[in-house]
Amino acid sequence: MIVFKTYLKIINKRKWPIILYTVLLIVFGSITISTSDDNINFVASKPDVLIVNNDDSALTRSLVNYLEENTNIIDTVKLDNVDDALFYREVNYVIYIPSDFETAFMNDDNPSITVKGSGDYYASFGEIILNRYLTVANTYLRLGYDKEDIISNTESVLSNKVDVSLINETDTTTLAKVTYYYNFTNYSILAGLIYAISIVMFSFNKKMICYRTEISSLNKTKYNSYLLLSNGAFALLLWFFYVLLSFIMLGSVMFSISGLLYMINSFFFVFFALTLALLLGKLKLDKNAVGGIINVIALGSSFLCGAFVPAAYLPDMVLKIAHVLPSYYFINNNELIKDIVTFDFGSLLPFVINILIMIGFSVIVILLTNGIGKKNVNTNE
Amino acid sequence: MFKHNIIYSFKLLIKNKVLIFWTLFFPLILATFFHLAFSNISDSEKLNIIDIAIIENELLDNNSYFKESFVYLSSSNENQLFDTIFTTEEDAKELLTNNEIVGYIVLNGDGPSLVVKNSDINTTILKYVIEEINQNSIIINNTLESSVNQNTTINDISNQIISYLSSSNISITDQSSDNVDYMMLPFYSLVAMTALYGGILGVAMINYFLANMSSVGKRVSVSPTKKSILILSGVIASYIIQLLGISLLMFYTSVILNINYGSNVFLVFLLGLVGSLAGLSFGIAVSSLFKVNEDTKTGIIISVTMLGCFLSGMMISSLKYIIDKYIPIVNLFNPASMITDGLYSLYCYDNFNKYWFDIMSLLIFSLLLILLSITSLRRQKYDSI
Repeated sequence: MIVFKTYLKIINKRKWPIILYTVLLIVFGSITISTSDDNINFVASKPDVLIVNNDDSALTRSLVNYLEENTNIIDTVKLDNVDDALFYREVNYVIYIPSDFETAFMNDDNPSITVKGSGDYYASFGEIILNRYLTVANTYLRLGYDKEDIISNTESVLSNKVDVSLINETDTTTLAKVTYYYNFTNYSILAGLIYAISIVMFSFNKKMICYRTEISSLNKTKYNSYLLLSNGAFALLLWFFYVLLSFIMLGSVMFSISGLLYMINSFFFVFFALTLALLLGKLKLDKNAVGGIINVIALGSSFLCGAFVPAAYLPDMVLKIAHVLPSYYFINNNELIKDIVTFDFGSLLPFVINILIMIGFSVIVILLTNGIGKKNVNTNE
Repeated sequence: MFKHNIIYSFKLLIKNKVLIFWTLFFPLILATFFHLAFSNISDSEKLNIIDIAIIENELLDNNSYFKESFVYLSSSNENQLFDTIFTTEEDAKELLTNNEIVGYIVLNGDGPSLVVKNSDINTTILKYVIEEINQNSIIINNTLESSVNQNTTINDISNQIISYLSSSNISITDQSSDNVDYMMLPFYSLVAMTALYGGILGVAMINYFLANMSSVGKRVSVSPTKKSILILSGVIASYIIQLLGISLLMFYTSVILNINYGSNVFLVFLLGLVGSLAGLSFGIAVSSLFKVNEDTKTGIIISVTMLGCFLSGMMISSLKYIIDKYIPIVNLFNPASMITDGLYSLYCYDNFNKYWFDIMSLLIFSLLLILLSITSLRRQKYDSI
């Protein structure tokens, strides 16, 4: 008990970095969770469009109505700040309709519209939508229709929609949020757990403390097992806390089979992080160097394996390198869970393989730790 | 004497491995991580070829316009939008389940319908294009019905409408800027972070001269050397290391990682000089104004710097824009934002008004902190230590 009490005392003294990593998880998790609504129906993506209409006419009003139906109209951007708004993606596409556009259009007098885009697919889609209206209207003009008929025929034709059905019965939007949350725990678990355990182990491994423990009445095997149990209990507590947070932040989706799989996956990752932390604790590093090592390990694996930026956006070369890191298999499993439609042997097999790989990494680290432990004992002797 | 002091101070700082890691190497490691993670994002955001399937059936065979439209949109050219597979419904379902296509189209008696797995931009574009082709068919059919008595063949009319629909007489003039890659922003805030992390050097250097902080400080305090010379030489040594760090980062990011700082190298370097000065003066101010231990002082520097970088868009690029728009006063006092904003204006704007405003703001920030520090450090005496 005395070992566990001392353990808690040290953790309590060094609690702020652990709180910081947890706060980061909550902040990033909250930002993602608040981005879109839950749904199991098809919802069309819409580009954010700013319209600068200098021609108040029937044709441009019809065009603006069509754009309002198919895009998100943004009207909070000042004209002086358009370039900033495009850069920061507040707006994807800006449409400047010149004065006398309708007159030039009806006279077929080379009407022109100026646009600015953010260079991404939303900007391309904005252009497709704008082009669509103009092409249909222009076709009716060239077929000889008058203004009223051009507008009414264009509106009528463009109102024809297509039925879309989703094969997924699961709520992929919400599962994507859960995936994001658990992917981010890669950073919080690695940084928090390694920091806490290596700092505690650093304190216990101090030369004078070791000497005092050696001559005390406490059995060494018992002492080591208490220390290991304390580390295990702390890791379990941290895992439980992060899982509890996911239930609070993400709600009912966590009470599903997918939710259970996310929990199992994170449990094995926490186990790996615990073994790694114990290894670093055994290395007897300089206290000041621990911060640097933690940052390089936690940030490196998070960036390389897709904890911050989704793996789909990472270059192939980076993902290939990431295969040597356990975080890759943890994050890969989170992505897999999101996409599982039916839970059967075939769909769960890759999940199980990833878990086994994480266990394999843990075993390697445990063997390394034991090797270093034995070496240290010999050195002391 | 002054030269010797600079050399000694330089040696003191450069031998502190932890200090050198955080100020010189950590930014380089972080830049490498940023590059590995962000280098593909801009390309991923561009419209790529979308994999789809169309179910082969009798209705598709009878609707040559629909089929040919997709064949045309899937042909290899610079405007290719889709990669289309014509297959059975069972195969299409399997392809969709395995994420090999984003969706498949089935033509039935009521017209085309689309089956997808998720709602996203690719499935939305696919839906939109199907609607476009379907709407074109309606235009052709309606026009054929109304033109049936005229002296032209059905084929002529169809071809004419198709040609109208494929090229309109309205021109869309694109005036988009070439510099819209917002993935530059994390790198700019990284430069800001490096400049402000230089404050740690300032803390370490001043602590060497404070009698209540270190043994070196006690010895220095009783030495006959003027305190102003000691501090100035220490500050110069710190500034040299800081400039080394920021130059190393800028060289590494611009030459190796191809980060675009705009075309005016001199102005970028000037911003680096002024930004480093701001970081150093921040460190000196924290060291001289707060009567706490070195760890706490370093903690203050790191916390304030990270908060400043967070607000200037290091973790969420759009955050700086949101703050600039709704609570501009926050970033007006944020040195990280001044540096990020200066680099952003060199990258995006043709005029330098915003850049010079940022330079002036950084100089005022530095001057104020240095004046505060001097006031605090002057005539410092200790009754007992």
